[in-house]
Amino acid sequence: MTAEDKPRIGVYICHCGENIAGAVDVEEVRKFAEKLPDVVVARDYLFMCSDPGQEIIKEDIRKGLVNRVVVAACTPRTHEPIFRKACEDAGLNKYYFEMANIRDQCSWAHWHEKEKATEKAKLLVAAAVAKARLLEPLEDRYVELNKDVMVLGGGIAGIFAALDLANAGFKVYLVEKSPSIGGNMAKLDKTFPTNDCSACILTPLMVEVANHPNVELITYAEVESVDGTVGNFKVKVRKKQTYVDWDKCTGCGACLNVCPPKARVPDEYNEGLSTRGAIYIAFPQAVPKKAVIDPDACIRCGGRWFGEEPRKTKDGKPILAPCEKVCPTGACSRDEPRDPNGELIELNVGSIIVATGYRVMDKKHFKEYAPDSPNVITALQMERLISATGPTEGKLIVPSDIPKYLEWKKKIEKGKEAELEARKPHVITFVSCVGSRDERYHTYCSKVCCMYMLKQAMLLKEKYPDLEIYISFIDVRTPGKDFDEYYMRCRKLGIKIIKGKIGGVQRLPDERLLVKGYDAELGRPVELISDIVVLATAMEPNMDLKELARKLGISVGAEGFLKERHTKLYPVDTMTEGIFICGCAQGPKDIPDSVAQAKAAAASAMSLLAPGKMKVEPLISEVDQEKCIGCGICENLCPYGAITLVEVNGSRKSKINETLCKGCGVCAAACPSKAITLHGFTYEQVLAQIRTIAAKKVVEV
Amino acid sequence: MELAEEGVPPVINLTELAEKEKEEFEEKVSELIIEFGAENLMACMQCGACASICPLARTGFEWYNKKLIKAILVGMREELLDDMTPWACVACNRCTEICPRNVTPFEVMLAMRRLMVEDFALPTLTIEGLRSLYEHGHAVYMTGREARKKVGLPEKPPTTDSDEKALQELKTILKNTKLAELGLIPME
Ligand SMILES: Cc1cc2nc3c(=O)[nH]c(=O)nc-3n(C[C@H](O)[C@H](O)[C@H](O)COP(=O)(O)OP(=O)(O)OC[C@H]3O[C@@H](n4cnc5c(N)ncnc54)[C@H](O)[C@@H]3O)c2cc1C
Ligand code: SF4
Ligand code: SF4
Ligand code: SF4
Ligand code: SF4
Repeated sequence: MTAEDKPRIGVYICHCGENIAGAVDVEEVRKFAEKLPDVVVARDYLFMCSDPGQEIIKEDIRKGLVNRVVVAACTPRTHEPIFRKACEDAGLNKYYFEMANIRDQCSWAHWHEKEKATEKAKLLVAAAVAKARLLEPLEDRYVELNKDVMVLGGGIAGIFAALDLANAGFKVYLVEKSPSIGGNMAKLDKTFPTNDCSACILTPLMVEVANHPNVELITYAEVESVDGTVGNFKVKVRKKQTYVDWDKCTGCGACLNVCPPKARVPDEYNEGLSTRGAIYIAFPQAVPKKAVIDPDACIRCGGRWFGEEPRKTKDGKPILAPCEKVCPTGACSRDEPRDPNGELIELNVGSIIVATGYRVMDKKHFKEYAPDSPNVITALQMERLISATGPTEGKLIVPSDIPKYLEWKKKIEKGKEAELEARKPHVITFVSCVGSRDERYHTYCSKVCCMYMLKQAMLLKEKYPDLEIYISFIDVRTPGKDFDEYYMRCRKLGIKIIKGKIGGVQRLPDERLLVKGYDAELGRPVELISDIVVLATAMEPNMDLKELARKLGISVGAEGFLKERHTKLYPVDTMTEGIFICGCAQGPKDIPDSVAQAKAAAASAMSLLAPGKMKVEPLISEVDQEKCIGCGICENLCPYGAITLVEVNGSRKSKINETLCKGCGVCAAACPSKAITLHGFTYEQVLAQIRTIAAKKVVEV
Repeated sequence: MELAEEGVPPVINLTELAEKEKEEFEEKVSELIIEFGAENLMACMQCGACASICPLARTGFEWYNKKLIKAILVGMREELLDDMTPWACVACNRCTEICPRNVTPFEVMLAMRRLMVEDFALPTLTIEGLRSLYEHGHAVYMTGREARKKVGLPEKPPTTDSDEKALQELKTILKNTKLAELGLIPME
């Protein structure tokens, strides 16, 4: 070691206003630090991280006084990067820096024991100095980033994230589970707080994203596995079997009506209020507008499946399924066999945005609300019932009479004369917080139901002023921009509020419903007879969200939604770098918030990928293959799969993938032959710290 | 309020109330109250600020401002007509000052009184007051003319009561109000 390299340590102690100085005797620590081996100067300052504070350190470095820096202050989690940068700016290798946390661990922990706090601060400073004497200079590494992005989920959040990225010149793969993009917003009638028609604002965006030259739309597909890390993810995506040749299908819809009644199943788009055939197009405004065959619903008309020989009529003509027969383009021809597993494709992307949304709870869970009555419906079903694209084209009738309506419509379409005998509702009751704010289901508030109940009530009351509408609330939650004004508008329309959650609904023989509640404002139980009861059922995580999170290596919170890295500061980031989240997959929220998050996630992905390369800290592990005995313990322990055993000159040796290693140090701690070094936390450095604390003085290792 | 036997508050049947409002009466009670002067009735959000300072609420009256408004909104016409709370309102108007929605709860009280008068649902005390107003020009008339005489005062105070011309004018005014139409008190 030349004289030049010999450590000349500067110790800088921060008062953190009163945060540290309130319990730790800073001057005593400073005097103590001054005397430690290799320490050439010890200073203190009110706020070390402030501009003048940093300048003190930089000045000492620039003058050549110090070549190692120890800062005793707050937490390295937030402040280490700041001080490292100061060292670098002054011309010192930034890894010649060490930090002692004398705030969280001393003053805060021992606020009422000032002497002990001071003693502990001294020990932590001594330990940091002991480590600083052994620090080595390290260089940052750079990894190349793939600039393409995968957006998962084509709801309003996914669409916006994809559009923002695509407009900025990034290539986007938009992967959607169902046959069409649009998500839950496509099912809504009008949207609060402006009451603009959902389809009118959504469908143009669906078309725009699908036609964008930088967007590759992959619908009816799901993620199978994810490998790699930030800048370099390898994603296997399974495109499900559509059983319809999408290159040929024009979405003409000829096949939809010939699919026989026996093959009809509840229609997802209408939330089960009507049925669809086994061959179906998700909804009239679907993007892409292509048919798929649901193999579970298909009854194999004509007695053959894909790739099988057609049966023949007596005169030898092939018997075709009705859909095949009617299709003008041959898109659903059964001549060719089709792989039920679909097709597996691989995407290479630098970043992933998860926007897989939510689902609403089914009414079946709520026995107290007569779920077996067709006139008890979820709010999402109500959206369909009042929508012009819904099962009744927006005509308001009681749901129990929808079958009558559909019969009538069929007759009319066939040019027959028919009278519609469906009952119109006179009373509609909304029940709040169904499955939300309820320890039996979800403890969280679903956040949008108060507003959508008010919206549906308002739309109904404006259109049918004679309707009696009751909304029950535990309390009305309208905290958004223009939201409370919206609520007042409803009140002024004469919508009746029951203050308190409805406790029971009883199905009456005439298919009306007896609703039992308690009104806290009147202090009395109330009851009423309602034609329709609308349950504001909770928004909850999709069934497969946990599994998807596992594949992606990100976590879900206790309530099951995707977890952000930090609620306040990193709301769209995850603990896995390069993976961002937005929309209702992160938690219940409305469209404005979903869009805002989507744009935030897109911007985060852009700022990550735009430079094309990424700085990686050199604080990772390295194997000395001379010492490695090839036991393989490390390989099994590494949580990031960064270690593999390779053949080197005929023997097994551990090898660490630099891009995958996160520097957790598990391998270094476990290696029986001390062959692994975790840079920045070497054996010598860590031992020096421990021994210093144990001996209460800086000891040589 | 009519109590069930055990003292349990009876269930309010909202359907019955709504149906009655539709079928038996020409107008909803809330519409009438608005017509009778409480224009901002529907803006009430039941925050309770008015009730927190209302002397009626503090002295045990059942249908003080906030609760009265709620009952009107759900159409509890009959129960309200049977209740005398509005006549106990002291018109302090503290509620009007405090209300964050400009509902003017006192106006609701007044409107309720007007509705009650129309329905002859008013306490005898009120009839007495009206009669006294018509006959003497005082809603609250002091008794004890003898006592006045004893201390050397004229039998009637130097007000409308002792001014025949003024009294006649007052009677004419009253005869031209809705009071005469209603025939609550004899007006010769
Ligand atoms: C009854 C009701 C009424 C509402 N009314 C309003 C309103 O008036 N105004 C308002 O602002 N908000 C309203 N909302 C809220 C609104 O629906 C949401 O804010 C919005 O739809 C969230 O969009 P998203 O993109 O996050 O999720 P979603 O709309 O759920 O979209 C998620 C998409 O991801 C897909 N997906 C799911 N899993 C996967 C997977 N594993 N892989 C690939 N794709 C996947 C889904 O198929 C879907 O297309 C209402 C909600 C309800 C329930
Ligand atoms: S008939 Fe053929 S082209 Fe038309 S929607 Fe059906 S599958 Fe597509
Ligand atoms: S938004 Fe309203 S209805 Fe929905 S859970 Fe929250 S409080 Fe209940
Ligand atoms: S203060 Fe106004 S808004 Fe509040 S309860 Fe009274 S009248 Fe209603
Ligand atoms: S004006 Fe009447 S209702 Fe209002 S606070 Fe006074 S007493 Fe109560």
